[in-house]
Amino acid sequence: MSPVSVGFIGVGVLLLMFILRMPVAFAMAFVGFVGFAYLSTPGAACNILARDIFEQFSSYSLSVIPMFILMGSFAFASGITGRLYKTAYTWVGQLRGGLAIATTLACGGFAAICGSTAATAATMGKIALPEMKKYNYDDVLATGTVAASGTLGILIPPSTILIVYGLLTEQSIGRLFIAGILPGLLLTLFFALTIVLICRRNPELGPSGPPTTWHEKLRAVAGIVEPLVLFGLAIGGLFLGWFSPTQAGAIGAGGALLIGLVRRELTWRNFFEAGKDALRTSCMVICIITGATIFGHFMAVTTIPFMLADWVGGFVLAPAAIIGIVVLIFFVLGCFIDAMALLVLLVPILFPVVIGFGFDLIWFGVIIVLVSQMGVITPPVGVNVFVVKGIAEDVPLEAIFKGILPFLIALIVCTGILVAFPQIATFLPSLVKY
Amino acid sequence: MVLDKVAKFTHLLSGWLEWVGLAGLLLIMIITCVDVAGAKIFTWRVPGAIDIVMLSQLVAIGFAVAFTQILGRHVRVEFLVAKLPERAQAVIGSIINLFLLALFILIVWRISVFGHSLQVAGEVSASAAIPLYPFVYGVAFACIPVCLLFLLDFLSSLAKVIKR
Repeated sequence: MSPVSVGFIGVGVLLLMFILRMPVAFAMAFVGFVGFAYLSTPGAACNILARDIFEQFSSYSLSVIPMFILMGSFAFASGITGRLYKTAYTWVGQLRGGLAIATTLACGGFAAICGSTAATAATMGKIALPEMKKYNYDDVLATGTVAASGTLGILIPPSTILIVYGLLTEQSIGRLFIAGILPGLLLTLFFALTIVLICRRNPELGPSGPPTTWHEKLRAVAGIVEPLVLFGLAIGGLFLGWFSPTQAGAIGAGGALLIGLVRRELTWRNFFEAGKDALRTSCMVICIITGATIFGHFMAVTTIPFMLADWVGGFVLAPAAIIGIVVLIFFVLGCFIDAMALLVLLVPILFPVVIGFGFDLIWFGVIIVLVSQMGVITPPVGVNVFVVKGIAEDVPLEAIFKGILPFLIALIVCTGILVAFPQIATFLPSLVKY
Repeated sequence: MVLDKVAKFTHLLSGWLEWVGLAGLLLIMIITCVDVAGAKIFTWRVPGAIDIVMLSQLVAIGFAVAFTQILGRHVRVEFLVAKLPERAQAVIGSIINLFLLALFILIVWRISVFGHSLQVAGEVSASAAIPLYPFVYGVAFACIPVCLLFLLDFLSSLAKVIKR
């Protein structure tokens, strides 16, 4: 059997293992090991298995992942999220749909210190959903807002998806982070406009909250100082070339910890729980990357990525059509497979295609993040939807999926704009000279 | 009864290992912060900071695999199997857990062999010259409870298949 045939069988078996509920990381390692052993020798496969685990687990470049995850965990444990929501709520809560808009803005703010969609949705959902319930917000709007706005966590820097994309494609994580800022702000605006339009059509879905005085508004501004300082220190330091990505994450985590200690909000219990939560998430992500590395060795010996690049390169199609196909592949598979798993599985395979067509890799990274955001909220495997369901237990899953539909349209429109105007993503990175 | 004891022991051991992993994670943050502050303020750097970060991460991730598995935090695609009848789920569970058990037995064995090769060759980290093999043996040891977890899951699935 030819290596290419073995490769396609391997991909099929991998998808079967996914469907049969084998953990994604271990499925990639298992199929990658067996496939590599078949195409080379069992001894070589055994050596690669041990070496890959050692090299990925101890990779300095991967240490950026646990540090930014730890930063988000400590920021939550330090009560920053609650103060951020209060600020947004005080400023826009009295508008029609204002509490939902405040949730979106606060998610955007929290996304600036947390790089995970599920963490952003879970954190904000615990605070925003009870408030929206109190003011008789429609469950569909409230849960849809939290699930969709939580996805801003992987677009606005720091972003775990952009970090892993940067490591896979050898792109600067700093440049990728900068590239996510304008699209992140644009998407936040789109989500807020979506809420405005929904509530204009049916004001009963999002009644106005209580009015606030200018004095209260100005006092509430203090709530954004801490995230701004953290963002400025960690991400700003990274942009300015003061820190490496790992150092930026560690400084951010240390800063969030310090805020919690100064405010006396971080108990020993919260501290250890936040640390353990960050450790588990980091372990999950790095195990997926390790599994993908083992699977990647198998794919390399099958020559499928190169063959695919040659095959697609032979098409007489406009680059926009190629991007459309890539986005469609990510979107469809993203409905079934976790965003991180899909990223580490598909990017190495599609990378030669993207290079062949001369696409800007920073811009492509942002497009991939936007499509990953769609996967996080679409059925049947919309992680954020399940996170919100875990908080709003009385709201049916169908209602939450219904709630995300208008936001999904906003997300698709935003992706279309990014494809038409790549400068939105590439402008800021072009200003950086390192 | 014996299986219950093994399960209890595995959970306890995994919990302890996770504490070691947490220490590794916090050490990465502390060493990096001290190194950055030292370099920026006092033009002094922590000797071998990168080596310490790399080995701490090896311990952090390797030692957390078991408890992350216990909590179901390793990402899985859940939408199809959950809709199948219990018996079919049990059959699939026993096959998948058998594969996973085989994979992790292989991992423990090969990482131990890899650690031994590092020990024999006297391999040390690049700048701080820290011997690598104890950390590699540590990761191999931390994967043993993962094997036990998959063994227990396999036996539990098998029991469900046989019972019906």
